[in-house]
Amino acid sequence: MTEQTFDVIVVGGGHAGTEAAVAAARMGCSVALVTSALETIGQLSCNPAIGGVAKGTVVREVDALGGIMGRATDLATIQFRMLNQSKGPAVWAPRAQCDRGLYRRAVRALLELHPRLFPIQGTVARLILEDGRAVGVETLEGRSFGARAVIITTGTFLRGRIHIGTGTRITGGRAGDPASVHLAEQLEQVGLTVARFKTGTPPRIDGRTVRFEVLKRQESELELFGYRWGHFGRTGASTDASSTGAPIGRVADDGTVSTAVASAGAWRPGVAEIAGPLPQLPCWIGFAGAEVKAIVAAHIGESAMYGGAISGRGPRYCPSVEDKIVKFPDAEHHQLFLEPEGYETHELYVNGLSTSLPAAVQIAMLRAVPGLERVQMTRAGYAIEYDYYPPTQLDTTLQVRALPGLWFAGQINGTTGYEEAAGQGIVAGLNAALAVQGRPPLVLGRESSYIGVLVDDIVTRGVDEPYRLFTSRSEFRLSVRQDNALRRLAPIGLELGIYSEVEKREIAAHLEAEQQAAKLAAHTTITPSQAAPLLDAAGSRPLAHGLPIADVARRQGVSLQALFAAAGVGGTLPAEAVVTAELELKYAGYLARERAQADRLRRLATLALPPDLAYEKLNSVSLEARQKLAALQPSTLAQASRVPGVSPSDLQGLVFEVERRRMMATSTSDDDDGGEAQPDVGRATASRQ
Amino acid sequence: MILDDTIAAVATAPGHGAVALLRVSGRAALEVVGQLVRPWPLEPRRATLCAVHDPRSGALLDRALVTVFAGPSSYTGEDVVELATHGGAVVPASVMAALEAAGARGARAGEFTRRAVLNGRMDLVQAEAVGDLVDARSGAMQRSALEQMDGGLSRRVGALREQLLEVEALLAYDIDFPEEDDGPIPRQRIADAAASVVSQLEALIATVPSGALIRDGAVVVIAGPPNAGKSSLLNALLGENRAIVTDIPGTTRDAIEVMVDSRPWPLRLVDTAGMHAATDIVERLGIEVSERWVSSAQVVLACGEGLDEVQATMTRLRALTSAPLIGVRTKIDLLSASASTATTILDDTPVIGVSAETGAGLPELMETIQRTLTARHVAPTSELPVVTRARHRRALESAHEEATAFLDAWVDDLLPAPVAAVHVRAALGALEELVGGLDVEEVLDRVFASFCVGK
Repeated sequence: MTEQTFDVIVVGGGHAGTEAAVAAARMGCSVALVTSALETIGQLSCNPAIGGVAKGTVVREVDALGGIMGRATDLATIQFRMLNQSKGPAVWAPRAQCDRGLYRRAVRALLELHPRLFPIQGTVARLILEDGRAVGVETLEGRSFGARAVIITTGTFLRGRIHIGTGTRITGGRAGDPASVHLAEQLEQVGLTVARFKTGTPPRIDGRTVRFEVLKRQESELELFGYRWGHFGRTGASTDASSTGAPIGRVADDGTVSTAVASAGAWRPGVAEIAGPLPQLPCWIGFAGAEVKAIVAAHIGESAMYGGAISGRGPRYCPSVEDKIVKFPDAEHHQLFLEPEGYETHELYVNGLSTSLPAAVQIAMLRAVPGLERVQMTRAGYAIEYDYYPPTQLDTTLQVRALPGLWFAGQINGTTGYEEAAGQGIVAGLNAALAVQGRPPLVLGRESSYIGVLVDDIVTRGVDEPYRLFTSRSEFRLSVRQDNALRRLAPIGLELGIYSEVEKREIAAHLEAEQQAAKLAAHTTITPSQAAPLLDAAGSRPLAHGLPIADVARRQGVSLQALFAAAGVGGTLPAEAVVTAELELKYAGYLARERAQADRLRRLATLALPPDLAYEKLNSVSLEARQKLAALQPSTLAQASRVPGVSPSDLQGLVFEVERRRMMATSTSDDDDGGEAQPDVGRATASRQ
Repeated sequence: MILDDTIAAVATAPGHGAVALLRVSGRAALEVVGQLVRPWPLEPRRATLCAVHDPRSGALLDRALVTVFAGPSSYTGEDVVELATHGGAVVPASVMAALEAAGARGARAGEFTRRAVLNGRMDLVQAEAVGDLVDARSGAMQRSALEQMDGGLSRRVGALREQLLEVEALLAYDIDFPEEDDGPIPRQRIADAAASVVSQLEALIATVPSGALIRDGAVVVIAGPPNAGKSSLLNALLGENRAIVTDIPGTTRDAIEVMVDSRPWPLRLVDTAGMHAATDIVERLGIEVSERWVSSAQVVLACGEGLDEVQATMTRLRALTSAPLIGVRTKIDLLSASASTATTILDDTPVIGVSAETGAGLPELMETIQRTLTARHVAPTSELPVVTRARHRRALESAHEEATAFLDAWVDDLLPAPVAAVHVRAALGALEELVGGLDVEEVLDRVFASFCVGK
């Protein structure tokens, strides 16, 4: 009946879908990626940038787990910024503007490097269900495929509806692409709860009609960075760690790589990599002032969002210009970032001006911005409403609890952002493969990664607005950083067996370099005269005698890299390894605090809650907590501790109940012992887990 | 263990009271009581005179005033029924037995309040206050517990938590939104917010000694040579204040100790063994006891029959304690002149003449004791509830330590924001242990409410 059976079928070719497909392929599965249009695989639907605060760390985590987002970004970066440089390397946040076309092509090529991963064009109309399990998909075109696991990553396409003003309403998943309706209807019929969110995007303009001379130019800082492991600092000494070759083409060890690249077509991302970074383009900063505010205020009733056309809730951190002006009327002006779309066009993305006002108002608004007086609008901004499935219906591997064999990843789970989608794609892809192979599931802890925080947050707490990561969401802001993603996650990847031999050697070299930097700092003495200029610049007192570099690097404002240079050592160490070593030295006490908390969390996570626990009958747990726990069925005490409304005393009650059952199981006597001998979890759970 | 059941207990103390109160709570509370009580059902929150029968024999047990409180608007948050029966040894016990026969279980100590906490009717701090109120040995403790039960301390801690959340939100804004319209937060704004939290925590912690005084009474030691009239003075002070006298268990009986419920400070009056160089072994023991008391006293009354004896006592006491002294000339009724009741000053210490016999000087002495205590301790007000429990003190001290560490690092720019924020989070965690419930969503809510973020 089905034309072919794959281990894993991924529905959707966005950032969640492509990562899920690659993750499953790296696990050794045969994979089909089914998407409505092969040309839009890897499309950057909103702003043309990858990374940012917390998000940049996710990109590096995706990369460490074998994902493609970081590699594709490195191949398409046309402007780069390291955000938060003034706040110390602990929260440095890489962000890259990308050429949309290059990015898409890089993603497609990277997918096709995997010999058992097949992109297939088709609009999935229906899941094939058997005995309450998902066992395949059928497309509108009449093709059907069998699968041992299905991952749905349909983004905003499920019953997507685009609004421009109150009068214009277009059914679509993204401007120019049709929405998916059939699949949405089936998912609803099988009993999944569905809800609506909205998000928005700004207009785009023709750069040839912009007066750049009145705008502020923002240059690239590319020399600082590349996402791909080992590429930190493309110039200077650090490149030797990555000079073993292009990242693309390292997937297989058996020499099939070059064939794969060749079959990807005439365009060779690997060549671009070897040739060095792409020429960089600037972004431009302008301001929407009083005149724009007046236009928005006068037409507010015509906005799809304010005129009542949209009911779904939107993200607070990505406000429309209408939101900005209604909620913060005192702000005198709002920044606009004009971001290049790519080399092949003058088109610019007007970041900061997301709107659902009618097109004519958008043009008026744009022309009220100094520098855009005669601007041509290439595309209007719009708001989009779409279906999502409240993610509390998922287990901790992103599998749909009510439909085993089916995983959800990305915006369908109520998240927002390319990076958040990619992280979920990895989790769903790895776990679908593990399930197919009959292996135990992988749950990334909150202490391990931002991806772990994201998955835990959405399945445990749910979402009430499109979910985005912030560093504030993590209890481990200092120890979970962009510079140490490989150290945090490579052990997991090694355990899973997702790396090639070449990659394993690279990883070992990368981690070794960190240790070398730490050793060098501990064992090299710097003299007072060598250190004097540095210490003077940092306002730090001079040395009385020679000291190990490690001791001096603990001082505020004194960089380890600079100390190495002053002492004439460490020139061959990768810059990133030095940054990591420096952070570990400077904030040792604080990192130790976070790690102690992480240990407590891991202990809590080992206390499994039996799946048949009758929460509604637990008298020692508050009523609110009973209801929430019964609905969510947390798998561990750690997860239960993060359910909103569950207090430390509720957790004590849970521990008591689990212990009681354990005692009943080991001895037949059922004595009512009144809660003695409870493990000491009070402290651990009272702090934030 | 029976789960989710209905509990019952006689809430009043056993004994020969006119009325006893039985309380029933749980999902089946109405069903259980309905088997005993006629008429039934009753209108909630209206006390109704009912006949109470034994459901097994049908025998009439009592006529009682029965009130139904429907959950969740009840003490425990569950359905609650209160039966005000006649008191005594037999009636409450027989009604209790009938309730158990109808399906209720005897409640464990504190179980009603525990359920109130579990059902969100009160927080932990308020529940502790219920215990404190029941255990109160003084009017001051009663007032403090009532204040705490009404949420005084919870509100105060809650307000501090809000302010710390604000600091964290400002830091989160700085870290998570580096490219916004408003630009970075002025450092001074964060420093001011943190400094305010630190000083408020200090004010609360400063009430800890007061809290101990209110909880346990201020130790006022009556010291002096044998036969200086110390015991008479103690009895006179008791009589004068119509005190609630309770034995304080666990103390050595070599000193006599009584609680006096006076305002604003309750007192623990301690009559020690006589202070003089003793040879006899029993006497020595008595002296050691008295010295131990003297060294832990909040106020010491230095007694003597004449000024010389008061002076000698004070000199000895100064070697033993840094507690404030009040000189007391006893037995002034034995002296002739009227001038002897007047307060005199000896070495900067007030000396008050009193007569246990006539009561002369006693009000002045009490007044001086209270004034001496008030000069050294923060008296409780509704604006500044006092901290009466060690658990609260530990949590507040921990929060203070962390908030101070943050402030110091921030003011001197010793740490970058994300590192310094570790202290803010730890301070929040400490307060959370007091009243419960820290939520990262609250931090983000603040960020979004205060700043126009996002491109």
